[in-house]
Amino acid sequence: MTPSKDTVTARWDDIFAAVETGYDLGWTDGLPIVPPTTDRVAAFLAAAGRDAAEVIGELPERRRVITADKVAANAVMAGCRPEYMPVVLAAAAAMLAPEFNLVGPSSSMGGAAVLTIVNGPIARELKINARNNLFGPGNRANATIGRALRLLLMNACAAIPGLFDRSVLGHPGKYTYCIAEADAETHWTPLHVERGFRPDQSAVTVFAAEGPRQVRAVGRPEAILYAVADVASSLGTSLSTAGSVGDPEQGIRQGEIVVTIAGSSGLWQDWSKAEVRNYLHGRIRRSVADLKRAQVLAGAVEPGDGERFLSLIPSAEDILVVFAGGEESNMSSVIPSWGPKVASAAVTREIRR
Amino acid sequence: MPEYTLVNPTTEPVIAPFDGAPRLPTLAGARLGLIDDSKRNADGLLAELSEILGARYEIAGVQWHRKPSASRPADPAALAALVKDCDAVIIAIGD
Repeated sequence: MTPSKDTVTARWDDIFAAVETGYDLGWTDGLPIVPPTTDRVAAFLAAAGRDAAEVIGELPERRRVITADKVAANAVMAGCRPEYMPVVLAAAAAMLAPEFNLVGPSSSMGGAAVLTIVNGPIARELKINARNNLFGPGNRANATIGRALRLLLMNACAAIPGLFDRSVLGHPGKYTYCIAEADAETHWTPLHVERGFRPDQSAVTVFAAEGPRQVRAVGRPEAILYAVADVASSLGTSLSTAGSVGDPEQGIRQGEIVVTIAGSSGLWQDWSKAEVRNYLHGRIRRSVADLKRAQVLAGAVEPGDGERFLSLIPSAEDILVVFAGGEESNMSSVIPSWGPKVASAAVTREIRR
Repeated sequence: MPEYTLVNPTTEPVIAPFDGAPRLPTLAGARLGLIDDSKRNADGLLAELSEILGARYEIAGVQWHRKPSASRPADPAALAALVKDCDAVIIAIGD
């Protein structure tokens, strides 16, 4: 393995001075980092079998080339273990894929985070949490894999808040936003298999995302989905805005959406993911009257506008259904995309080991 | 004090050498290209601008290109066509 050539020399006497050095160098997201020493970074590269200079992806609009040592350094700083590296590398490659168009979601006022969904055997091996506190704290793999991607964005992709990152609000998922699907605990087809991979492969899906909105409906499946559709149909999301529309014929932005469903898979035994998507697709919509009242569409409300609806999702396939969340309850969440698919689409990549 | 060598987690931009096109002495007789970034009002701004320039100079023709998304770079084929067919190009960013 060739070592990284781009290094910085630092001095400290104790652990507290080491922590302060991370801040002095401007490398943190606001939280303390683990120093990316050459030995530690080399161990991370070795764990993934990658050379320091291997190109993982490019961000041409910012004239950046992202090499494996940059990914490893940020993963070390985030607090990852070396064995997490294949996941971080695959997620980094996915968010640097042209169809993800990282320059958009990492700079926009919309304040997207990169939701990272891990599927397949590696999620269980690395104990990436798919259950209780799905988006919450308490699990090292989730916390540090998501944070590694954010640090990579800030340090290596120039997505610096106030500079290229022009988020008006942002959201807590911009610190870390990594989950797994509980794909071994459901009859549902895993997300990565729906997106072209085998069940025995591991894969990561990245999605430019708003924050998760909890849906507390816990009745029968139709009742849960009725509430999910209502939440997903809100005014004020990226999907129901008018700026930067994906299809000028539609008049509103539209986009993909992630729906997580928790609890016991048994409740859904008579439903496939495709049936969930089809049920939701026709109901995630908003009336022309409401869109006019919110000045998403121009003009005064006219007779009949209350009965005319626009779909917020282009097609049923644009709903990514993920079985994840605590076993305690069949709660759900709705996560709208940052933009229309033409501006950024979910990308899935195999996790190579 | 102990010394440590850290791998730099940041990057610097790698910018290829770039020569700008020579400035036009006048827009008279020029073929004008317009790139609309597809955000709201970019089209209105460009239409107005094109009208003003048309009244002030004898523009030889105007070609429009509308990007499918403001977040996407312009289509290289569309850019190549503008380079071939236009003497000057104006880009508008609306919102």
